[in-house]
Parts: sequence; structure tokens; C-alpha cells
Amino acid sequence: MLRTEEMLLNMGPQHPSTHGVLRLVIKIDGEIIREVDPVVGYLHRGTEKLAEDLTYTQIIPYTDRLDYVSAMTNNYAVVHATEKLMGLEVPERAEYLRMITMELNRVASHLVWVGTYLLDLGAMSPFLYCFQDRETILNLFNELCGARLTYNYMRVGGVKWDAPEGWLQKVEEFVLYMQKELATYHDLISGNDIFLQRTRGIGIYTKEQALSYALSGSNLRVTGVPWDLRQHQSYSLYHQFQFEIPTGETGDVLDKYHLRMQEIEESLKIVKQVLDVIKEGPIMGKVPKVLRVPEGEVYTGVESPRGELGCHIVSNGKNKPWRLKFRRPSFYNLQILPELLKGENISNLVAILGGIDIILGEVDG
Amino acid sequence: MFGLLKGLGVTLKNMTKPKVTYNYPAEPIPVPDRFRGIQHFDAEKCIVCNQCALVCPTDCITLTGKRNPDPEKKGKVIEIYDINFEICILCDLCTEVCPTEAIVMTNNFELATYSRDDLFKNMQWLHDNNQNIRQENMSSKPPGAAGGAK
Amino acid sequence: MDLFFYLGPIILMLLLLGFVTYAILFERKVIGWIQNRPGPNQVGPWGLFQTIADVAKLLLKEDIVPGKADRALFKLAPIIAFVPAFAILAVIPFTESWQFGDFAVGLLYYIAISSITIIGILTGAWASNNKYSLLGGMRSAAQMISYEIPLVLSVVGIVMTTGSLDLNDIVLAQKKVWFIVPQFLAFLIFLIASLAELNRTPFDLPEAESELVAGYHVEYTGFRFAFFMLAEYVYVFAMASLTTCLFLGGWLPLFGLTMIPGILWFLLKFSLVVFSLFWIRATMPRLRVDQLMQFAWKVLLPLSLLNIFLTAIFKEIPVLSSFY
Ligand code: SF4
Ligand code: SF4
Repeated sequence: MLRTEEMLLNMGPQHPSTHGVLRLVIKIDGEIIREVDPVVGYLHRGTEKLAEDLTYTQIIPYTDRLDYVSAMTNNYAVVHATEKLMGLEVPERAEYLRMITMELNRVASHLVWVGTYLLDLGAMSPFLYCFQDRETILNLFNELCGARLTYNYMRVGGVKWDAPEGWLQKVEEFVLYMQKELATYHDLISGNDIFLQRTRGIGIYTKEQALSYALSGSNLRVTGVPWDLRQHQSYSLYHQFQFEIPTGETGDVLDKYHLRMQEIEESLKIVKQVLDVIKEGPIMGKVPKVLRVPEGEVYTGVESPRGELGCHIVSNGKNKPWRLKFRRPSFYNLQILPELLKGENISNLVAILGGIDIILGEVDG
Repeated sequence: MFGLLKGLGVTLKNMTKPKVTYNYPAEPIPVPDRFRGIQHFDAEKCIVCNQCALVCPTDCITLTGKRNPDPEKKGKVIEIYDINFEICILCDLCTEVCPTEAIVMTNNFELATYSRDDLFKNMQWLHDNNQNIRQENMSSKPPGAAGGAK
Repeated sequence: MDLFFYLGPIILMLLLLGFVTYAILFERKVIGWIQNRPGPNQVGPWGLFQTIADVAKLLLKEDIVPGKADRALFKLAPIIAFVPAFAILAVIPFTESWQFGDFAVGLLYYIAISSITIIGILTGAWASNNKYSLLGGMRSAAQMISYEIPLVLSVVGIVMTTGSLDLNDIVLAQKKVWFIVPQFLAFLIFLIASLAELNRTPFDLPEAESELVAGYHVEYTGFRFAFFMLAEYVYVFAMASLTTCLFLGGWLPLFGLTMIPGILWFLLKFSLVVFSLFWIRATMPRLRVDQLMQFAWKVLLPLSLLNIFLTAIFKEIPVLSSFY
């Protein structure tokens, strides 16, 4: 045996492929990874601690900055938990608008994943195509709530804005367009042999591993567990609509790609169904001017594009939460990384890390 | 192999598609009416109720009022009203709570400067920022109903 | 010893710099169009001076030599990488008369000299004393050596057909039909292997920015970095010229359109090759390093050997032998 020396490679926090400021301390032996130590916290802003000093309405803009590619879902997580604790009724139209925006945001978020993942693998154009389609969604949100990324759209008891005139038609047009456009993505990416070669059979973990690491969302479904909070802990009005829960077979990154593409399709389907039933009506429930949340404790989970986004509120009856805790799916999903990378070739590192789909704003809270 | 060719076909087809980029600094970028930009402040409307400063999640509004100089009238008038745009996140909460629409959003967003000090905007500046004021401000009311800075 | 002997290389150098300047612009434009954006369009009309501005920026930059680097080698490496790139251009016949050195083993000369560049890359990678650049340099060496073999073997079929290593003879042998037709397999192998030789997507592993940040030239700045870039684009130029000569009939016209001068034909075919390089770059993701090696040794090498056998067999078959 040749004696080789282990090398310590410090990847990040300013590395192009760590999607923000993740730092990986990697021990490599030649090109084989022996050990990986993710160092998180470079983007920590202490949202949970800040929230203890903020009223419930004021927390909403802070959640925009957690998972900044699907801020609508974050808005919903905190709003939903508060509503549940207060026992508030939310008007139907508000719920429908929330669902439309959340599902569109899921589409946008998955498009970002597909694009950046392909960019990690070295393909440039899919990234720009994905961002073009995402741009349409962002423009729709911009028209709806005046911002492209930090929406601050949902309020306890409803939503801030009603859909402007013609907005719902535009959403419908986009849904129809996107359903066709997905075929182009499949032409460009799904059949590409190099892409298949690079993603097939890597980053596999079993169902048991996934469950014991508390993975959720598409990272869990890819192992064949059809667990989706939208159906299994139905919140909002998801129970009214039909949609499938795509699951994976082999659990490799290629499967994750197909799964997320299918999820885009399902989300579009949901939006389409909501558009068919949405009616005029109030968008704000009967909410007192100053939100005083009764004493108590509540945990609610919503299905964010990355998994179970939980919000745990402990209230002592004041207008500010006593403690607020987010279960941030990216943070949990990242935990499996050291195990996945052990013994892999370093050129698989980016492919596996990208496959987990982490957002650093959410990892670091 | 066939998949590679298909991909090449997609990229070739895209070459002929129209360009989607904006010629931004040369041409202003179109923004929708609801766009949340730098606030416009109207001192005459303000009743110094302090709600905007209270609701601001980043505490970037500083305001003080004084007695109305006209002894006939009750209430206060605004004396100092500053927004620190170093930390304002343009979240729209201040304009949402303002009962008189003294503070409203505009569609202007170009805040970039060379010095942080320039980001501290006082009442005069906010008052002069009166272009592209947002039309629709009372959000949770149905469109067409009362409200809107007319 | 006429004037041309001395002036020729200088003219070629200037032409080359012109080519590199506009090839970079063209590449960025093409990729821009493919991605539904206009590409560089701010500096000069239609972005024509973009590269010039970029180069000016590189030249004005502070020249940094990392503290722990091997100073002498660090400075030498870009030169070792660039000189062979320029030297190989001597044997490319642009037209019948436009050629700097016409000698009998032109093809061999090209292939032999071009592999010197790898030493420059390896030197630079090692001298930078950076882990990313070391990994990039190692990959680069492995990749270039592996792909050199199928590259050479794929042209053996042509050499067998023409019986000459002289690029002029090879071009002239394509009067009847270009070699891309009878040697299609060889053409594919050559195209793939040359992409790998050029370190371009999908074989740009040595500088894979999403893994190795920038690979072997991660520590280089300013002028020295420009030299590596220059070497890379000169190789694009050389490789596209070689492809044109070997498979697309060099300066020979198509459909007997002889009134169009040979140099234009050459340029046309040449641009086509360059365009397809950019096109592939805009579409493909990057291969993985172990798959890259397997692909070279397990797929391309056997295929190129097969191609040699096929050529030899076809040479004996009466009907086909006129093509071989
Ligand atoms: S927009 Fe938000 S952060 Fe800015 S001043 Fe108003 S409330 Fe404060
Ligand atoms: S909420 Fe409106 S009226 Fe009240 S202090 Fe602020 S700007 Fe003045």
C-alpha cells in the first residue's frame, strides 16, 4: 500500500457551491473524502430570540428572511400557529390566496433548486431558464404584495392584499404556460446523459436513516415514504383538493430531481384547482386591533418546499410570544451530510450537497 | 447520446427567442403600483399617534411631536420624523397602521449611496420624495372601497 | 530569408490576439443569446470593446504572488503554458500559400508540442501552493494525458488513408469528399477528445468553478492569469483550425464554389467549429472526474482502435477503397 497523506480542505464559507455561507471542513485522502464537518452559523441572525421582543405582526417580516426562496410558506407557518392558538377563523378567500401564493412559491423554490443544482454540475443555461420562469412568479408576487422576495404578505387572520385586477387570470396563464414548459426542461435536462451519469446512484440513504435523521419533505419522500403534511396534517384548505404525493424509488439525487419536478407539476395542479373555486369575499377575519394571544402552547407544521417547517409558540397571554421556535427543515436535512459524504469522491461532494437543497438563511436561522 | 442532442436542440431554439433582460439603468424598470419603495411623509396629515414607530419591527422611525402652535386647535404636530434606511426593511407595516395615511409608500427604490450617513432621511427629505406615490394604500379593504391616497 | 519570414509570426501574433479578443466576445454573445440575454453590450457599440476593457483591467491589476508560492516557478508557468500554444500554429495551413512551416510531419509536430502546455499548467498548480489549484492541476494532467491518446489514434485513420502526416497533403486528399464522411466515427472521437484537451465544458474539470473554485489558476491574477486565458483561447483557435483541416477539408470549397477564396472557406468552417464549441459549453453539465477517465480509456480508446481497423478493412474492399 502506498502511504498517502490526509489533507484538510476548507470549503467555504465563500465557496461558489455552498449556496451561501456554509463551511465544510473536509478531510480528504487523494480525492476520497474521509470526514466532513459542516460548520454553520455564519448567517445566524437570532430570529427566534428577536421574536420574543416583537409583536406577532412584527415577526412576519422576519420570517421572510429565514428561507428566502419560499418566504410565503414561512409567513404562513407563523401566522398559522398564531391563528391556531387564538382559535381564529380565516375567511375562505384569504385561505385560497394563501394557497395560491404558497404553491407558486413552491414552484419558484423548486425552480431555483433545479437551476442552481445544474449550475453546480457545470451547466449554465438551465440556471438562466429556470430563473426566467421564476421571474414570472416573482413579478406576480410583486404585483400582489409589492415585493419580489420578502413578501410580508400574510397577516394573522387573513392576508394583507386582495388580488389586484386581472391577477388571477395572469396566474392561470402562468400555470398553463408552465405545465407546457416543463417538457422543455425534461428535454434539456432529464435526458442528458452527463446529468444522468453524475446523479445516478449517488447520495443514497435508506428510509430508516432518513427517519432517524428526521429528514422531511422531498428528502424523505425520495426514500419512498409518502409523507406530506399537506395531506397528513391537512392545514389551510388543502383537503378540498386532489393532488398526488410523488415518492422516489432509488433515493439517489436523480430521483430527487424527478421528484421535485413532479412536485412542481402537483403544485401547478393545486393552483389550477384553487383558481377554479376561488370566489370574491373578505380577506381579513375578525381580528382585534392588538393581538393578544391566550396563554398556551402550540406547534404546527407546514410543508415548505424543503420539508416540515414547524412553528412552536409558547404564549403567556401578552402581545409578544414568550418563546418562539422554528423547526427549520434545511437545518435538519443538513445533518445527514457527513454520513452521506463519507468515502465519496470529492467530485461528488457538490452533487450530493446540492441534492439536499439547503437554504443557508434557514439553516442558520 | 440522443438526450444530449435533444438538449442541444433546446439551447439552439432558445437563441432565436426574444431577449428577456431589462436595460435597467438606461431605462427605468417598470414596477407595479403596490411596489414597496421609499416612504413619502406628509407632515400635515400626521397626528403624532406614534403607531408607525411602535409597529416598526426594526425600530427605524424616530419621531417627536410638539403642541400645536395654533392654540385654537387641539392635538400635536410633528416636529421630527426620521427614518433610518440603513435598517428599514420596507416591510410596509408603518404605512399599514397609519390612520391618516401620513406615511405612504412610493415606487422609488434607488437608495444606493456612497456613504451610510446619506441613508438617514429626515422629514424634509421624506416629504420631498413625492413622486410615484402608491395609489392603493388601505390594503385589507376590498379594492374600490374607501381609501387610497387621492 | 525574405521579409515574410520575420514579419509573418508578428502578423500572426497580432491576428491571433485579434481572434482571441473577439472569440471571447463571440463566446459570451453566443452564450448570452442561448440564455435569452444580449450578452455584453455596454462597452463600445454592440459590446465590441468589452474584451479590450477586460484585458486592460487585468493588466492594471496588482500582480500578486502568494507568499508561500514558489516564486520562480510561479512566474515561469504561464510562459510554459503559452509558448507551445503559439508554436503549434506554425504548421496549420490556412490556405495553400498561407502556412508558416510546411513540413512532412506537421500533424505529429502539432500533437507533440501541444502536450508541453500541460507541464506549464502543472507547474503553475504546484507552485501556487494551494490545495484547490493542486487538485485542479492533477486533474488537468490526468485528463490531458488520457485524452491525448484517443485524439492521436482517431487521426490515424486519416493518416492511413492519405499516407502522409503533412497537413497540406491531408487537406488536398479531401478534394473528392471531406473526411468527416468516411471517418465520421473518428470525427466524433476527435471532437470529444479535443473538447477534453481544451478543458472546455463538459470536460472543464480542471477549472470546475463549482468544485475547485478556479482550479489550477486560482492564485493567479492580472497579467499572469491573462496568459493562461490566452493560452486556452489560442488552443481553441488551433484546435478549431486543425479540425477544419483534418475533417472539413481545410480551405477547399464546397459545391465547386471556387470563386470564393479559400481563406473565406477556411474561416467559415472554422467559425462553425468554434460556434459548436460554445454551443456545447452552453448546454452541457460537467462530467465527473472518474467517469471522465473511464470514458477516455473504456470508450474512446477502443472506439478509436476500432476505427483504425475499420479503415484498414475498408481500404481492401473494392467499392469503398476509393474513399479510403
Ligand atoms: S417599512 Fe417597515 S421597517 Fe421601514 S419604517 Fe416602515 S415599518 Fe419600519
Ligand atoms: S402612524 Fe401616521 S399619523 Fe401616526 S405618527 Fe406615524 S405617520 Fe403620524
